Amino acid sequence: MDFKMLLKKLKPYLDADADDLRQKDESLSRVLKKLKREELKLKEMVAAEVDSEERELLEQQMNIVHSQRKKGIALLASVREEGKDKQS
Amino acid sequence: MKSLLRKIVLPTILLVLAYGFWISPDFKEIAAGVAIFLFGMLALEEGFKSFAGGVLEKILKRTTDKLWKSLSFGVISTTIMQSSSLVSVITISFLGAGLIGLAQGVGIIFGANLGTTTGAWLVAGFGLKVKISAYAMPMLVFGVIMIFQKSRHLKGAGYILAGLGFLFLGIHHMKEGFETFKSAIDLAEYAVSGYPGLFLFTLLGIFATVVMQSSHATLVLIITALAAQQVSYENALALAIGANVGTTITAILGALSSNEQGRRLAGAHLIFNVITGLIAIIFIHQFLTAVDSISAMVGIDPEDYTLKLAVFHTLFNLVGIMVVIPFTNHLVRFLERAIKSAPDRYAHPKYLNESAIEFGDTAIEALRMETARIYDKTTSVIAKGLSLSKSEILSDEKIKHVVRAHAKAIVYDIEDVYEHEIKSLCSAVLDFSNRLNVDAFQSRRVSRIRMATQSILIAMKNLKHLQKNMVKYVNSGNPHIRNEYNLLRQRIAKVIRRLEKIRSGEHSDTAILSLDALKLTLEKNMGLLHGRLDTLIRDGHISGEMAISLMNDSHYSYSIIHNLIQVNHNCLKADEAEETEAEHLIALNKEEITSVLSSGGSESR
Repeated sequence: MDFKMLLKKLKPYLDADADDLRQKDESLSRVLKKLKREELKLKEMVAAEVDSEERELLEQQMNIVHSQRKKGIALLASVREEGKDKQS
Repeated sequence: MKSLLRKIVLPTILLVLAYGFWISPDFKEIAAGVAIFLFGMLALEEGFKSFAGGVLEKILKRTTDKLWKSLSFGVISTTIMQSSSLVSVITISFLGAGLIGLAQGVGIIFGANLGTTTGAWLVAGFGLKVKISAYAMPMLVFGVIMIFQKSRHLKGAGYILAGLGFLFLGIHHMKEGFETFKSAIDLAEYAVSGYPGLFLFTLLGIFATVVMQSSHATLVLIITALAAQQVSYENALALAIGANVGTTITAILGALSSNEQGRRLAGAHLIFNVITGLIAIIFIHQFLTAVDSISAMVGIDPEDYTLKLAVFHTLFNLVGIMVVIPFTNHLVRFLERAIKSAPDRYAHPKYLNESAIEFGDTAIEALRMETARIYDKTTSVIAKGLSLSKSEILSDEKIKHVVRAHAKAIVYDIEDVYEHEIKSLCSAVLDFSNRLNVDAFQSRRVSRIRMATQSILIAMKNLKHLQKNMVKYVNSGNPHIRNEYNLLRQRIAKVIRRLEKIRSGEHSDTAILSLDALKLTLEKNMGLLHGRLDTLIRDGHISGEMAISLMNDSHYSYSIIHNLIQVNHNCLKADEAEETEAEHLIALNKEEITSVLSSGGSESR
């Protein structure tokens, strides 16, 4: 491992703010992945549902998950932007 | 009597020490070595505490499902932390907070007993052979610099490094002290041989450990004294046995403030260490032969008594584990019988133990579990307040049918339960939360728990208001108003059922976020009710008085549902603390939910 790489690996441990941002990034990414899976699952359930009332309820849930994903993606982008600003 | 003793003991110890320092500078150096060593232990504990909750909690969950796993956890964690007392106190706090069961706790304690013997190996094998004070100085310098850093982990690592530095420095001073001490007085002259010596020095070992509250410190003192030939090998063995028994005092003190589970664990610790000590005393000759053979096998010099003491320490703890392990389940059953749990009185907090206060994450988990317990009680009260049964609400029966089966509403004394149970439990949660010393990240979690208790109190107050008219109109002859109030009952019951599914984890991987769908339904239903109310008034189906009551009560039911969702919003958690934070960041606010609502359909549930 060269010196630059070593410094990069050590940075989160030496810089509390960078560590916070890294953790925020990782946890947001994990939750977004879960939400993506959930949205796909709901999409399949909506397609398979014959009862119109149930389908509407599922669609409503799907809309919520979709909005949550949109919000999460925007948050993740801002966290990454903040990380870049701190690095430069 | 107790306080009188306390008043006498401390000044006496101080006086004896002061007199000792006056007559012997070498004794002063040994005592200072012990003091520095103990200070090092404190710093080490402080350092590990900063990692304790989060990391240990995660490891505990994965590694304590089987006895051998919890045993290994005890061995490894104590080897790393070099403090069986810290491991036992953490285990007691985890047990008190309901994070692990008694059998797992017992396994950890047994393992910790074996893990603590590595300390003797380190001191005898490394500490005495190398000039460790040379390592101590840089460790202290680096450690203290790191302590002043902002990062929690860096600060923790600093405490650990400084702690190790102090430990090394303490050992160095004890070693030096004994070396010069032996030229003045030969303590070995006071050696007592045979069984009287064995018992006397075992008692001395117990006493020294009780005073220092650390078997590790006693053992280092024994090893350094043994290396300086200030104590005979046989007497050193007896002291080690005593130290092993005396160490349980820390666990017992920790358990005094814990619940019955914590006290049972301390009981297991005491029983195990006493049995192990007795085995070592009874079979001392066999142990000595075994130690000699093992030492010869691994190439330890027959004259190297310090390493042989380490072999003995490990051996008798290992034998103790092998003897007691087959009886673990019997031991657990015996302790459960001997230390009875108090009846599950709702008005008394179950998880809020003093032993958890020092460990931020464990204390927060205890608070969360206590709040979840109050929530359970609250939903039972709400079910009764709506003249329904909680078990039926949570069954697979259609909610419509459940409400229909309880067509007659009965008055339930909500004020009584509120005053005598819910309010006192909520205030216990708030009091406990105020006493915690937490960092900024943990403080956010604590404030969420406070908000959850506030939501519980509001929901209860609203239920009280709702009940008055609900009883009147559910039993009314007017089918329209009766139907509307039954709809309110249905909605609350439906939410309790859905929340229960979310809480059990069967609903989604992102529990906190799945509450947003419930919030959307709540907003939607509120809008629909306004429309229906207009029709009912316009068509003359309900009187003005009924309309006003319905308007007020629909707001109360809205508030009950909203607050029940809020309790879960603030109490539910993901697998990792950081993920919980991320879910809170992503969760939609009221405006965002309204915007989803306005862009979606308009059907009612």
